[in-house]
Amino acid sequence: MSHLSENLQRLGRKASALAEAVRSAAGGVLSLTPSREGSVTAKYGDQWVHSAYDPRKEARIWGETQLKEWRSGEIGVVLGVGLLYHVETLAAMKTDDRRVAVVVADVSVLKDALAARPMGDWVEAVEWIWGDVVEMARCLSGLSAPLRFLTYVPGARLHADVHRELETALRRMVAEQGGGRLHIAVVGPIYGGSLPVARYVVSALESLGHGVTWIDHSSHRQSYDRFNSYQEARHRLAMQSRFAELLSFDTVTRLAENRPDLVLAIAQAPLTAGVLEHVRKKKFPTAMWFVENYRHLTYWRQLASSYDYWFVIQQGECVEAFRRAGARQVHYLPVAADADVHAPCVLTDAERAEYGADVSFVGAGYRNRRALLPRWLSREWTFKLWGDEWEGAAELAPVLQRGGARIDTETCRKVFNASTINLNIHSYDGPSLDPHADFVNPRTFELAGCGAFQLTDERTLLSDLFTEQEVVRFRREDEVPKLIRRWLHDHEARRAVAEAARRRVLAQHTYRHRMKELLAAIGVHQPDRIGAVLRGDRHARALASRPDAPPELSALLDRFPPTQRVELKDLAEDIRRRGVGRPLAREELLVLLLDSYRSETRDLV
Amino acid sequence: MARALIVQLARLGDLMQTIPAITAIKTAVPDLGLDLLCPPSLSSIGRMVPGVDEVLEWDGTVWRRWADEASADLRPAHLQEAAKQIETLSLRRYDCAYVLNQHPRALLAGALLARETRGPRLDGPIGEHLSPWASYVRAVARTGRGSRVHLADALCGLCGVPPPGWSPVLGKPFCPLPSNLDQIGRRGEPWIGLIVGAGAVERSVPTEIWTIWIIRFLEAAPNGRVVLLGEERERGRWIHNLLPPSLLGRVWDVTGRTSLLELAEVLSRCHLAIGSDTGPLHLAAAVGTRVFGWYFARARVHETGPYGMGHLVWQAVDETGEGEMRRADIRPAQWPIEESIAQFMGGQEMRTCGTPGWSLWMSRYDRWGAYYAEVGGCFDPPSERERLWRELSPSLTGGSAVGAT
Repeated sequence: MSHLSENLQRLGRKASALAEAVRSAAGGVLSLTPSREGSVTAKYGDQWVHSAYDPRKEARIWGETQLKEWRSGEIGVVLGVGLLYHVETLAAMKTDDRRVAVVVADVSVLKDALAARPMGDWVEAVEWIWGDVVEMARCLSGLSAPLRFLTYVPGARLHADVHRELETALRRMVAEQGGGRLHIAVVGPIYGGSLPVARYVVSALESLGHGVTWIDHSSHRQSYDRFNSYQEARHRLAMQSRFAELLSFDTVTRLAENRPDLVLAIAQAPLTAGVLEHVRKKKFPTAMWFVENYRHLTYWRQLASSYDYWFVIQQGECVEAFRRAGARQVHYLPVAADADVHAPCVLTDAERAEYGADVSFVGAGYRNRRALLPRWLSREWTFKLWGDEWEGAAELAPVLQRGGARIDTETCRKVFNASTINLNIHSYDGPSLDPHADFVNPRTFELAGCGAFQLTDERTLLSDLFTEQEVVRFRREDEVPKLIRRWLHDHEARRAVAEAARRRVLAQHTYRHRMKELLAAIGVHQPDRIGAVLRGDRHARALASRPDAPPELSALLDRFPPTQRVELKDLAEDIRRRGVGRPLAREELLVLLLDSYRSETRDLV
Repeated sequence: MARALIVQLARLGDLMQTIPAITAIKTAVPDLGLDLLCPPSLSSIGRMVPGVDEVLEWDGTVWRRWADEASADLRPAHLQEAAKQIETLSLRRYDCAYVLNQHPRALLAGALLARETRGPRLDGPIGEHLSPWASYVRAVARTGRGSRVHLADALCGLCGVPPPGWSPVLGKPFCPLPSNLDQIGRRGEPWIGLIVGAGAVERSVPTEIWTIWIIRFLEAAPNGRVVLLGEERERGRWIHNLLPPSLLGRVWDVTGRTSLLELAEVLSRCHLAIGSDTGPLHLAAAVGTRVFGWYFARARVHETGPYGMGHLVWQAVDETGEGEMRRADIRPAQWPIEESIAQFMGGQEMRTCGTPGWSLWMSRYDRWGAYYAEVGGCFDPPSERERLWRELSPSLTGGSAVGAT
């Protein structure tokens, strides 16, 4: 009997449909060749999928590395099939309290593996995950255990896209299931465009039921600005850098006083690499949502390896650049709207007169806007320009409102609602539309959230977020006047587009959605910590029903409501409250002892 | 035979000040098997304490690691590991634990390892009611008012035994010294063990002052030798660098190079130990070496002066002249350099302090424990100790250690 027939019999006993699919598959994806040591090895094109010298030894080393992170009770999800040497090794090395699942992105590769060499009984002890990505994600989330991804890189790179899609689908499912309550410290910037995003993030996390410590550095703005009065730029830079460093320590002190499950920094948050290293040593998971154009603000290069997770608003080259700079986990996460803030509003006649116009633009005076907007002024429509940093833009002076003062969020909302057409031009430090037109700015979501009609410059990532029926876009500057003429007097059509955009925002693009996705992404990669909390594994009932929970611990946990998250400190507090004047059980003493050390781990400062 | 455990999880000085309590317990109940629980770093010296059968090491780093893990992800396994650790320390629970620290971890460790605990709390490890002696010690700490009861004797009170009435010393030998240090105490005399400083700057004597002290001392004692001791290697090196080359052959810098047992051995070979770092000074007193202490900042002679007979302590005083009785953060403006050298070189002839801003005290003891009497003043024991013992331990006349319960 051939290896393939024999192995398919084994596989059939575990997963008959998969065995059938393998039998019908073409195979021939991998080219097989003997290794120096004698066993068969494989290549995909020019790339070795297993060692040319000793694939078994290579698999053993890989397995030992995985075991260091793989915790009891977790399912190790192997990405990368190859000739399954690494899976065989893992199955042999693991303890009984760990299970293995293998993601089969392409049954033809599995056919090559099953035809190449004899497999053992372990084939029947492994969970085989196959099908389309949604099916695979559903299957994995249905395994009802924390998932630990174990990537065998030489095999996984053949199907990197499938694995990425699988992770995205899984994240979405985890996000939907998430019910646990985390304590998250959100670290905001001193000032700038990311400051309102930080506020929306805090609000979204709170509305999702998480506990939030908002480390708001905007209160230091005035002090920070005082350094602008130095005559020499180097003095200003030096002092502002020192000041940011001080605020970095301020953040650490707050973390030390109230230990969070996750530190989430928003772009421009004053956290230095040194402090982040310190925070990492203390085992706080850290994430940064970099809601900036990575090409313009480049300080991320120095911090790439300092955060555990990066969330960025660009894809492709951006993600690669972060990885090259040392970032371990980089995920795409576009900005969004806050459904409570960016909503339609009813305006009085006076407000409509003040804020309304046929065409409006709200934003700062970047170079491309200074060059483009004068070209779009016309006697055919009224035009109002709102925002700051327009000094010296003489052609725009007649339409500039409030003398170019910065306007607040509420005023923005009124302008959006009062304007017939809102122009949305992504910023660029050149005289034209942004040639690297990838990310989608917050204004797009905010206008859509307000139910306002917008004309937006085209972005490569826009079509993933809004259809052409939801957001009208232009690709060249000369299209804009035509589009204004097309939409200015068609009230019904504008309303249909704007309402569709608002429906899309409420369904998919609020900060609540983004925070769910962000936490799910971290949860997938930290199944034992963030993931466990999100799944509700830290609830009193879940902890008490663990098979290894001694009855004494279960008795302690039974004092809490079943769905309350219970941590060491909660148990200790409860014991202290109830325990005075009575003999304490051994487990109670041990909990208190551990807690006495926990309370002294605040040595971050 | 009843077995008891002394729980002392603090630092070197605290362990040394526990020796009188251990002696007193053994005197009260000679048949009692007595073990000691202390940090691993002190276990070697703990084994030299007379009356201690076995030393159990309390590894705080392991507990801290479990606490970190359990606070990040509470699992039943954490409690199981912790329980195993307790069992590794002792399979059988002790009849009694004498807990000599007020920290919760010491109280909890005692409660886990013994059926009964004696110490700071009357109603268990999380109770709020302090024992009379614990209340007294806490009040002294909180109010900053001085006390004439020595801390070592207050620890006896916590254990329910009267002070031993004499000064116990650590059993020798400590450990052989490496060949490059073995000449210490052998050629020339007197040998002075100079403890270069405590960790905190405000509690350290400036290196320039020590340099002057060494120069003056070596001038006054042509055959004298000085050994620089302590953990602060930088300070030792700094002092060494400031000395004139002609004196270098008579000054040995062993800072940062000795284990605790080697430090005990070096101190035991010296004729005098001088310094402000109370931990090594207590160790010196415990190995039977005379001690000269310079007490300032928060150190107060009556509570933590070296235990024994004939030790001298210069106590920095404030403008009210009450430095020894009040917790005043006094930073001396001048130092008793000449006076301390003269006291040492002058033999038994005691003189008053003579340095403005300082008072001079000499240690003694009687049945109520150790006390310090001002040199040049009345050497009669202070009466408040007896009054306090009668108030806080009214039933103590017959002693009531674990064997009596």
